Amino acid sequence: MVPNERWKSMNAKDPVCGMEIDPKNAYAMREHMGHKFYFDSESCVEQFDADPHKYAMAGSVTTGFNPSMQIEQIELPILGLKKGSGRHTLKNALEAIEGVKSVSVNPSSGVSVIEYDPQVVTLPTLSSAVKSAGFRVGGAQTRIGIQDLRCASCVQFIENELRGTPGVLNASVNVGTQEATVNYLPEKNILNQLNSAIEEWGYKTRPAASEEPMDKQQIEHEKEYRHLMSRFWFAAIISIPVLIIAYAKYLPIVRDWSMETLRLSWGASALLTFPVLFWSGSDFFTGAWAALKHRAANMNTLIALGTAAAWLYSAFTVLFPGIFPEGTSEPFFDVVTVVIALVVLGQALELRAKGRTSEAIKKLMGLQAKTARVIRDGQEIDLPVEEVLVGDIVQVRPGEKVPVDGILVEGSSAVDESMLTGESLPAAKKTGDEVIGATINKTGAFKFRATKVGKDTALAQIVKMVQDAQNSKAPIARMADTVSGYFVPVVMILAVLTFIIWFDFGPQPQLVYALVTGVTVLIIACPCALGLATPMSLMVGIGKGAENGILIRSGEALQTSQGIQTVVLDKTGTITKGKPELTDTIVSGNWEENDLLHLAASVERSSEHPLAEAIVEGAKTRGIALSEPTAFEAIPGLGVIATVDGHRVALGNLKMTNRENVVLGDFEQKAAALADDGKTPMYAVIDGQLAGIVAVADTVKDDSSEAIAALQKMGIEVVMITGDNKRTAEAIARKVGITRVLSEVLPEDKAHNVHLLQAEGKKVAMVGDGINDAPALAQADVGLAIGTGTDVAIEASDITLIKGSLKSVVTAIEVSRATMNNIKQNLIGAFIYNILGVPVAMGVLFPFFAVLLNPLLAGAAMAFSSVTVVSNANRLRAFKPRFSAK
Amino acid sequence: MNTTQIIVTIGGIALSILIAWFFWLAPKGQTRATSDAGGAQEVAVTVKGGYTPDVVVVKAGLPVRMHFTRQESAACSERVLFPDFNQNALLPEGQKVTLEFTPEKPGEYGFQCQMGMFRGKLIVE
Repeated sequence: MVPNERWKSMNAKDPVCGMEIDPKNAYAMREHMGHKFYFDSESCVEQFDADPHKYAMAGSVTTGFNPSMQIEQIELPILGLKKGSGRHTLKNALEAIEGVKSVSVNPSSGVSVIEYDPQVVTLPTLSSAVKSAGFRVGGAQTRIGIQDLRCASCVQFIENELRGTPGVLNASVNVGTQEATVNYLPEKNILNQLNSAIEEWGYKTRPAASEEPMDKQQIEHEKEYRHLMSRFWFAAIISIPVLIIAYAKYLPIVRDWSMETLRLSWGASALLTFPVLFWSGSDFFTGAWAALKHRAANMNTLIALGTAAAWLYSAFTVLFPGIFPEGTSEPFFDVVTVVIALVVLGQALELRAKGRTSEAIKKLMGLQAKTARVIRDGQEIDLPVEEVLVGDIVQVRPGEKVPVDGILVEGSSAVDESMLTGESLPAAKKTGDEVIGATINKTGAFKFRATKVGKDTALAQIVKMVQDAQNSKAPIARMADTVSGYFVPVVMILAVLTFIIWFDFGPQPQLVYALVTGVTVLIIACPCALGLATPMSLMVGIGKGAENGILIRSGEALQTSQGIQTVVLDKTGTITKGKPELTDTIVSGNWEENDLLHLAASVERSSEHPLAEAIVEGAKTRGIALSEPTAFEAIPGLGVIATVDGHRVALGNLKMTNRENVVLGDFEQKAAALADDGKTPMYAVIDGQLAGIVAVADTVKDDSSEAIAALQKMGIEVVMITGDNKRTAEAIARKVGITRVLSEVLPEDKAHNVHLLQAEGKKVAMVGDGINDAPALAQADVGLAIGTGTDVAIEASDITLIKGSLKSVVTAIEVSRATMNNIKQNLIGAFIYNILGVPVAMGVLFPFFAVLLNPLLAGAAMAFSSVTVVSNANRLRAFKPRFSAK
Repeated sequence: MNTTQIIVTIGGIALSILIAWFFWLAPKGQTRATSDAGGAQEVAVTVKGGYTPDVVVVKAGLPVRMHFTRQESAACSERVLFPDFNQNALLPEGQKVTLEFTPEKPGEYGFQCQMGMFRGKLIVE
């Protein structure tokens, strides 16, 4: 019953203690149920003897090993498998493994079917063979927390146990994080088996802490916050008696203490403040020391130096009052405790405020469905969403969330996609339509085939993109970065110089003044505020964009967008819907409009031209039933001819009417007028007589005019670019209020035209559809791609607008302007604070106004300057776009 | 000026020069990445009060794998950024996090925590 391959190797493994040992050197050997076990030490063998069955059985209970089944067949999903490339390498590599009976590789479905002998070869071996052939095995990954995992030797045991579980591709256990990471084939539904595999070795499992990074971060923040607050309270409570003693001469009762009592109480202060310094303030010292080892200095260095100098001086004055000149032997322990208390409090508040800056991401991640109802082998099973595979058929009922991305295969419904697109009207979905994970199914039940799961879903990509962008750098931050690189050593030098100046030229007692001002300079300088100024606002601003369906790819894109002077709009698909629609029907003589449409649309049924589709769709929306055409004929460059309901119907351009020899009369002018409006007119000739004109056009999106007007109001020039002829282009431009039109531009020349606009000295943004317009998007200072459906992470663009509306362009620029303003406020605030604060601390005001900064006040200012920056960034959360999404 | 003042002044100026030298002028130790069989260059970096090592030398054109392990709880260092490579990662305490990218052009690239308190340098040769 024991899977004996585990002990087959040269070395045997002690089943109790886990050591690998050579059987020859084993302390003892036992036979149990026909298998030999070797032991490393007396205690191990004693444990085994007490309950041999438990240890010998440990392997089999959980692996579900079935000796009666000799050959197992497995379908491995292979990633990176393309037609032709490396398929034979993979097949050969797998076949070369001992125990593999047959291998077939199917590149089109991306799987490899392997028959193997599970007694000889295990899945992890197959998996690593696939890996060394240059491919990856697709599969799910899970993390399982293991409680109280301490011994390194147990790791091997648990790993082997997990790897022995059918369906596991690879497993590794990390003692540091107390977690097992398991790659497995999700169709095996083995999550429970994995847990029991670990529990079999006497460990309790728990949900992995790192399973959801966002939650983990929150937990860590919470822990850190409590940690900081307890340090703050400790320092704050100690501060009270220390302050009383320090200001004894201003307070009743203590004022009357004798010098002796005072000296004793100073001694007590020294003892009391010591733990504050080295417990509440320990992070400053460890941080400063670590930085020092790297020849670097940061905020920790400043606080550590300032408080340590204050404490050491004070301690000396208490211990050796005699060596100090008259009047300088007064300690200032209060500086130590109060400054540490305030700075620690500041850090705690900053952490709180920081937590709120990433709310947008948390909201996005919260959209993800937790479970999916998958149909496998005709059975409906509820699975965690992580286990859904590409190709699975998923059932969604009304009111439920769509778990992953896919294509609808059965049923129809209306789906609320507002969370991803900002579009408030539910989208109708029928067979063949794309459904997106995290959207909510409203009315009907449907089944869909999963096409993108896990990290590939639109939502996961959006989250990843936003997170990456939130942590990217805006060029404006570079200056702050450069400054903060030099900042701390400069402050240290200034503190030394301040000390010298006060010591040489200051009033008596010079030593006290020199020390107090020196310490104040160290404490007031705040590199943190500088460092935080940009990233915090960027975090909120980019999150705000995401909330409004605008994915900003980087801090640079955000910064450039604020200064945009010209917006170039692609016509088709950007200003217009990108899909022609039936717009006009003009009838001649005694024809009825609907009859004409009936015949025209019936002919076009057989055509696949987009204009034909527009006519068919138009007739259908008017409720006109269509007939089946016969004798259909498409004449290139002219149009189509067919017989419908016994009538010979020809539909086409002017050349078609010439071919049919019909008299046009004033219809030629009517057609020209339609063309002037940017429409495409088609003559309908029925039984040799002109029956009328049917016109189609790519119509303008409902909100394009409004958005363009808003852009112009913001002082931005709007230019339209299109490959269409001048007449059509200008007709559309007039409709939406654009005066500058670049028409008849070949697709490959769009980028060049953007470049020409840039040559006029303008910052140009290009809005296009990401596929045809990619070069122009890349050429522009900011490229905005309109993405729809699951195709959201568009490579060529700097900004992706998931909502197909031009209003998003307005919002994108608004978000950018608001964020950059916020960043500027922060940077100016942080610079002014330091530029004013440091000289005041040095005492430049003293000769004129006899004003000197108290180190306690400096500590408070320093602590709250960074809190102010983070709070100001949080103010951005209240940003409301002009065109609100909801 | 009395003698003490002269001594303090000279001492202070010397200290200032020492600070400038220590933080800016003295050469820093560099760590060269080790290459594995597949050609990837690996470096393990500990995050505690700073990055150890903080100056890493790698070769251009080969993938670099930087393994970060954060051994402190200060929220400050919870993310490491490589702005030039558009790479960043959250560093949960005690967990090894690997960033992989390929620097193509030789040069000096900085990496840092989110606020820029901790800094390191990647020298690509």
